Amino acid sequence: MIYSEFIMDYSKLKKFHGKIENAHRIEEGKNLSCGDEVTLYFLFDGDKISDVKFEGHGCAISQASTNAMIEQLIGKTKEEAFEILKNVENMMFGRDFDDQLLGPVTNFYDVKNYPMRVKCFLLPWKTLELALNGEGKKPLKE
Amino acid sequence: MHSTEWSDEAFCRIIQEFPVLNREVNGKRLVYLDNAASTLKSRTVISKMTDFYLNHYSNIHRAVHTLASEATTEYETAREKVARFINAQSEEVVFTSGTTMGINALVNSLVRSGMLREGDTVLISQVEHHANLVPWIRLSRFFGFKVEYIEADNTGTITTDSILTAKSRVNNPKVVSITGQSNVTGQVMPIEFIRETFKDAILIIDGAQLIPHKKIDVKALNSDFLVFSGHKMIAPTGIGALYGKRALLERLEPFLYGGEMIDKVTFEDVTFNVLPYKFEAGTQDIGGAVALGYTIDYLESLGFENIQRCIEELSKYLLEELSKLDFVEIYGPRDETHQSLVSFNLDGVHPHDVSQVLDEDFGIATRSGHHCAQPLMSVLAKGSRIDFPNSTVRASVYFYNTKEDIDILIEGLKYVKRWFG
Ligand SMILES: Cc1ncc(COP(=O)(O)O)c(C=O)c1O
Repeated sequence: MIYSEFIMDYSKLKKFHGKIENAHRIEEGKNLSCGDEVTLYFLFDGDKISDVKFEGHGCAISQASTNAMIEQLIGKTKEEAFEILKNVENMMFGRDFDDQLLGPVTNFYDVKNYPMRVKCFLLPWKTLELALNGEGKKPLKE
Repeated sequence: MHSTEWSDEAFCRIIQEFPVLNREVNGKRLVYLDNAASTLKSRTVISKMTDFYLNHYSNIHRAVHTLASEATTEYETAREKVARFINAQSEEVVFTSGTTMGINALVNSLVRSGMLREGDTVLISQVEHHANLVPWIRLSRFFGFKVEYIEADNTGTITTDSILTAKSRVNNPKVVSITGQSNVTGQVMPIEFIRETFKDAILIIDGAQLIPHKKIDVKALNSDFLVFSGHKMIAPTGIGALYGKRALLERLEPFLYGGEMIDKVTFEDVTFNVLPYKFEAGTQDIGGAVALGYTIDYLESLGFENIQRCIEELSKYLLEELSKLDFVEIYGPRDETHQSLVSFNLDGVHPHDVSQVLDEDFGIATRSGHHCAQPLMSVLAKGSRIDFPNSTVRASVYFYNTKEDIDILIEGLKYVKRWFG
């Protein structure tokens, strides 16, 4: 069963929902095949990710994934965020990964058995990747 | 309960034709409601195709040996069956790999033949599948014709008013290319009215969704071209057909060049083979074509009118039962023009989640997504009273489905709504 209690709970979390007005970085992600959209807002404190919020809509998997990702990211450095991202991808593609680094995100372990839903889970992570690689650029939209 | 079109005996035989219907999915009997994407395959058609491949197969048209002659006869017999099925002549039927291939070939051929030129207008509708949308949009960039739309209302429905509005806006379209039935809204299009309204245009019908359950008579419709796929009417994947009026096919430049489509080739020039071979370059999907012929035999053995009435009965039931659920938003027309499939959303639940739970807990196969009609999603969003997710759930029936299947779907949807609250 893909809809574990964790996923159901996290899909309904509200605390990371919203906009950050003076965000340092704004990144939009889309899954065209299902219409899911997410916009991530980042606030940095030096090298640290001090706050993240999101807007958008999507299925329970993508919503829960976004919430768990944000929870895990806040307080981490950009370098640590890259490391988490790499391990998330390893987990999805059946490779070795460091579960210490992933914390609550390990609750999505079974999603890899649902090939059609992997992209739902990865939507916020792919968007994070864009944001991290776009480092130093201005926000995409004001 | 199965459709009243079938006796218990007849339905029992139908069920035995589709062994996968006896399969369990996630511990439940499979309820297959994804027929608009592709239908199940039948024992008779597949075993006859297997027999053809194992005992009669060879390449066609090219050799004088016995197998070549048997295979050629089977292949040409299949063409005759397709022709009869749509009331055409054999030489007006070209085998293709399916609807997408048919439309791409037509757009290219029309341009190459000068039948569609810079400055001309092509009229399509806002509900077209990407197969009848993307080729026009892209090739209009290269060749300078314009693409205009018959607009859908905010339920995604094409009305006679919107057709007349398009007529007054678009001066004499050269080509009108329209789906026979929308794969999103389920609407069976008023083709006769469109033909009547655009008398001088070249009319192309995308028959992908319509032909599996409704008789298409190309002569009665006065259609210039018709394209369709076999896999949505229980034939194998990879085979379909393109019909064109003989006079038009004769003027039309081929899309693919190569072996078998030629008459005389020199180092300088080429003349083409006669119809329909001029459009069948290269080694064809011989087994697929033959199987399409067997498919028509099988559908006709059930009585195609019976299939049509069965789908009408199941469609009506599906639409009625879904309408009773107050948390469900339905797209498309709310009358008998809405056939064989229904797209809908559950207020507050994403279509992917709906389909996933239906599969996991009920063994029901449905489709969720934009159904290869992305621009139409923005039209439906305008009429939506919920937080529209840019996609829908779609349930679609074929003649082996039952009212019980629909009842299970309704139970499933109630459960999904409770589960996601
Ligand atoms: C209305 C319509 N047109 C075209 C197509 C494309 O058919 P195919 O994928 O068989 O080429 C489909 C199938 O999805 C369809 O529903």
